[in-house]
Amino acid sequence: MKIGHALWLGLGLLASGPVAAQSVTVALKADIRGTNPGVNRDDDTDAVALHMVEGLVAYREGGTVGPLLAEKVDLSGDGRTYTFRLRRGVKFHNGADMTSADVVWSWNRFMDPKTEWRCLSEFDGRGAVKVEAVEAPDPHTVTMRIDKPNALFLDSLARTDCGMAAVLHKDSLNPDGSWKAPVGTGPFKFGEWKRGQEVILTRFDGYVSPPGDKRDGFTGQKKALVPEVRFLVVPDSSTVKAGLEAGRIDIAEIVDSDIPELEKSKNVKVLLGSTGGRHAVIFQTTDPVFKSAKMRQAIAAALDINQIVEVAASGRVKPNNSTIHSRSPYYSAVQARGVTYDPARAKQLLAEAGYKGERIKITTNNRKTAPSFNIAVVIQAMLQQVGVPADIDVVEWATHMDRFLKGNYQIMVHSYSSRFDPALSFEHFTGPKRSQPRKVWDNPEVQQLLEKAAAASDEAARQKMFDELHTRMLDEMPLIILFNQLDAWATSARVEGFTPNEGRARAWGVSVRN
Amino acid sequence: MLRFILRRLLMAVPTLVIMAVSVFVLIRLIPGDPASLMLGDLANEATLAEARARLGLDRSLPEQFAIWFGNVLQGDLGRSITSGQAVLPLVLQRFWVSAQIVLAAVLLASLVAVPAGMIAAWRQNSATDLALVGTATLLLSIPTFWLGLLLLLFFGLKLGWFPVVGYVHLSEDPGAALLYMVMPVATLFLHEIGVLIRMARASTLEVLRLDYITHARAKGLSEGAVLWRHAFRNAFGPTWTLIGLVLGNLLGGIAIVETVFTIPGLGRLLVDAIFGRDYPVVQGCLLFVAFVYVMVNLVIDLLYPVFDPRVTAE
Amino acid sequence: MRRSIRGNLVIGGVLVGAVVACALVGALWTPFDPLRINIRARLAPPGTDAYWLGTDEFGRDVLSRLLAAAATSLWIGLLTVGFATSLGTAIGVLTGFLRGWVDRVVMAFNDALLAFPGVLLALGLLAVFGANKYGIVLALGLAYTPSVARVVRGTVLSLREKEFVEASRVMGNSELFTMARHVLPNCIAPLTVLATSMFGWVLLAESGLSFLGLGVPPPAPTWGNMLSASRPFMAQAVWLGVLPGLCISLTLLGINLLGDALRDRLDPRMRGA
Repeated sequence: MKIGHALWLGLGLLASGPVAAQSVTVALKADIRGTNPGVNRDDDTDAVALHMVEGLVAYREGGTVGPLLAEKVDLSGDGRTYTFRLRRGVKFHNGADMTSADVVWSWNRFMDPKTEWRCLSEFDGRGAVKVEAVEAPDPHTVTMRIDKPNALFLDSLARTDCGMAAVLHKDSLNPDGSWKAPVGTGPFKFGEWKRGQEVILTRFDGYVSPPGDKRDGFTGQKKALVPEVRFLVVPDSSTVKAGLEAGRIDIAEIVDSDIPELEKSKNVKVLLGSTGGRHAVIFQTTDPVFKSAKMRQAIAAALDINQIVEVAASGRVKPNNSTIHSRSPYYSAVQARGVTYDPARAKQLLAEAGYKGERIKITTNNRKTAPSFNIAVVIQAMLQQVGVPADIDVVEWATHMDRFLKGNYQIMVHSYSSRFDPALSFEHFTGPKRSQPRKVWDNPEVQQLLEKAAAASDEAARQKMFDELHTRMLDEMPLIILFNQLDAWATSARVEGFTPNEGRARAWGVSVRN
Repeated sequence: MLRFILRRLLMAVPTLVIMAVSVFVLIRLIPGDPASLMLGDLANEATLAEARARLGLDRSLPEQFAIWFGNVLQGDLGRSITSGQAVLPLVLQRFWVSAQIVLAAVLLASLVAVPAGMIAAWRQNSATDLALVGTATLLLSIPTFWLGLLLLLFFGLKLGWFPVVGYVHLSEDPGAALLYMVMPVATLFLHEIGVLIRMARASTLEVLRLDYITHARAKGLSEGAVLWRHAFRNAFGPTWTLIGLVLGNLLGGIAIVETVFTIPGLGRLLVDAIFGRDYPVVQGCLLFVAFVYVMVNLVIDLLYPVFDPRVTAE
Repeated sequence: MRRSIRGNLVIGGVLVGAVVACALVGALWTPFDPLRINIRARLAPPGTDAYWLGTDEFGRDVLSRLLAAAATSLWIGLLTVGFATSLGTAIGVLTGFLRGWVDRVVMAFNDALLAFPGVLLALGLLAVFGANKYGIVLALGLAYTPSVARVVRGTVLSLREKEFVEASRVMGNSELFTMARHVLPNCIAPLTVLATSMFGWVLLAESGLSFLGLGVPPPAPTWGNMLSASRPFMAQAVWLGVLPGLCISLTLLGINLLGDALRDRLDPRMRGA
């Protein structure tokens, strides 16, 4: 018995002994899809890649765009030529200086269809703009000329899913031109990728950070403080919870139902924020029942969004009926206007809409990373209250996406991912259903207004257009935007300096206490 | 003997072909599209069409099947849509991880459960029997995702004996690897004991009823001798076959344990591939599982005569 | 010996009877609507107000959900086992008796199905037939059919050479009569064991599928999806998992005891023992 106990104790010491001091472990929900920025990706893949590579410009806190590898960006008078002045002294992970030649080389690589860059169609003329020329007049200057003025050009360059159009060194490729591993300018270097298990990055000691003493989204002060960061694949949220408690995981995104329990733990700190992701109830406006705007408004009046937030996000975010995030500079008083909970009015609107008690089907999915199912359960109960019987049709994520893309639903509880610029954010659900069945709001007038807003660069003029769009949206109610995605994170007690950032982990600026 | 093996392998060919066709059809009947999953809701129509064309999803189904099957015949299972890795090495690597855990758990469970089941059968309807059957049923009825989490919280978190997250390959550091394997193996072990006790008990009961046992008893052999010399050897045969079935089923069912204990195994790979509509991986995994299944049962049948003297492999 | 067989029969019978009674009650009446949410009383422990067994994360009454789930879970179990045993027996008897190329072709399909992981089958069939409980029945039923077919075929093969079957044939009885009169009854004993075990597997498999996101779609309760949904609340609200788990355990124990007792009664070799 005694010997047995001693043996267990010995094993215990082995198991709980200090993890390589100073190394920070970040939990990932799934393995990354690759290390090639902007090619084969998902949110976690972007998050890992953006520790290693950087673009000319990047999103700041609140979703505006600021310089990263560039020091300054100038726009010519005709709105077509951007001049990027590069920061001096920036080095790649292999020690080489970053120059305008590398920017041009990287850009040409992205524009080659063989690279399979997912954002190629945004820049080759099929999407909003065509980049006509990229030139390097001197080692520290790059110019990009586009075919027509576009307010969203820098925004597109900064997109995280496009891999920030990262500037890479040629050594990132094998001699035959295939992808090897990222050699970028980021605060961390690529270490090792044990597929299905973990990705290990090490600090890049030659890193030159943009100026400033604070992190600012993906730019600002970006110095790495820990020598190593390990991204560990932990698919099960209950295991994540245990790992945090045991100190084996330092930083993890958590599900909202775990917040109360983790807040009580002494070993764990909980940090909350909200992202630009939007949870929404979307209507199929061609459906016989939901053709009428009155009917859609009736549903909106039947929803007590505060209660929905209470159940689906533990009450930790505020309802927001605008597609614009409350931290955005475009979040005006008009954007703050939303729907009001009024069951009596809902019943009256139902009668006016000629509703005859048809059973409604609410389609949603059982993804663990979004509260869609919980939202659907609460909505079902609220519709019941005003005399609208509803069934919930829960499908897994791929099937949900299929129905979403085909417009195959009556009511759907859906989550739109974050899009920072308000014009892009509206574009997410606005457009002709005939060519794009996933679009919800099909109104040519609105479409025109939106296109004007996308091309305009005067902020006051844009603000007016976005406010008009918001008012019209509440009026026609093609969808009800409920609230922004809760950005819930937990860290072990020894971690300092971590803050949530649009659902993407940031290991720079994070330190550990021993 | 060799002819028997060859014939069995030949017989497996139609099974594998049927398997290949049905997997291919089924996974494509399911709505969802790997290209749209990969691009998310930020992509425009042009990008989506481009991605579909690149993955060959714009071709007709028979055409896609012909291409895939042609490659399989040449030993090329394709590349994963999600990670770009070649499917065969990926599957082999993940299989090895799962196999270690499954084999260890089933071996340990058989060592405990088969004798226990026999004792239960021997003392049929006694308090011992009821206790053993009761324990087996209780263990059987705790789902592995609960059992695993209980072990994780108690031995991993509360007592701190075993690491709660992470995985180390046996080839990297055998000592640490064993430590990481204890809890997942224990979870499967406890679950499989439940299954095997009942099976062993049932097959021993069958044997105990046979005439020659009655003869042996009538001859005045001690109960111990009867049980060991006659009952055990004869009852082990059918149980052995069942162990084969259990092994096969586990490869499909291990995904849950791998999810709880963050193990990069085959079960997890398959489930992720199904949810991600990673067609080449799903097809490759299942073809491989079917092949392993056939092989395991062949080995089981070949070893059967060792345990059951009444049967010869021919 | 006899008395204790009866002991098993009684314990098993009482347990199964109680579960069936709960299912009947649950199908007709529950204290609360099992789908009604109460946001003010979420995760209330057992004994809070009128919630005898507490509430879940939406404030739904756990007792009502357990009762309603009993009906659904048993129904799924019965249908699945019924489906698998009837189809499997038919295949097993047919192939065992006819042998030749029919046997070879059918068994090739059978083996392919046997090696087919239930997860994919469930996902595929749920997608094709819509997410409802009959999708699960079909998926699990098809997954278990091959084992039944194998067991029955084995029994038939070993029986067809036996003297009494031979005798029946020599006496000029048709194959069909011989099968029904002499072969099928001998399959009942192994089938009872298999069917009772299968019932347990179904309840568990449904729960495992729920964990992976493929089970009977919520919000309609089954013991399996309640158990799986309870997992994040293991520390805060342990009753959410323990109660449906206990229901599954007791049902399994009852069915297994009853199955063993029945097997001993039905087995022709045991008659008069």
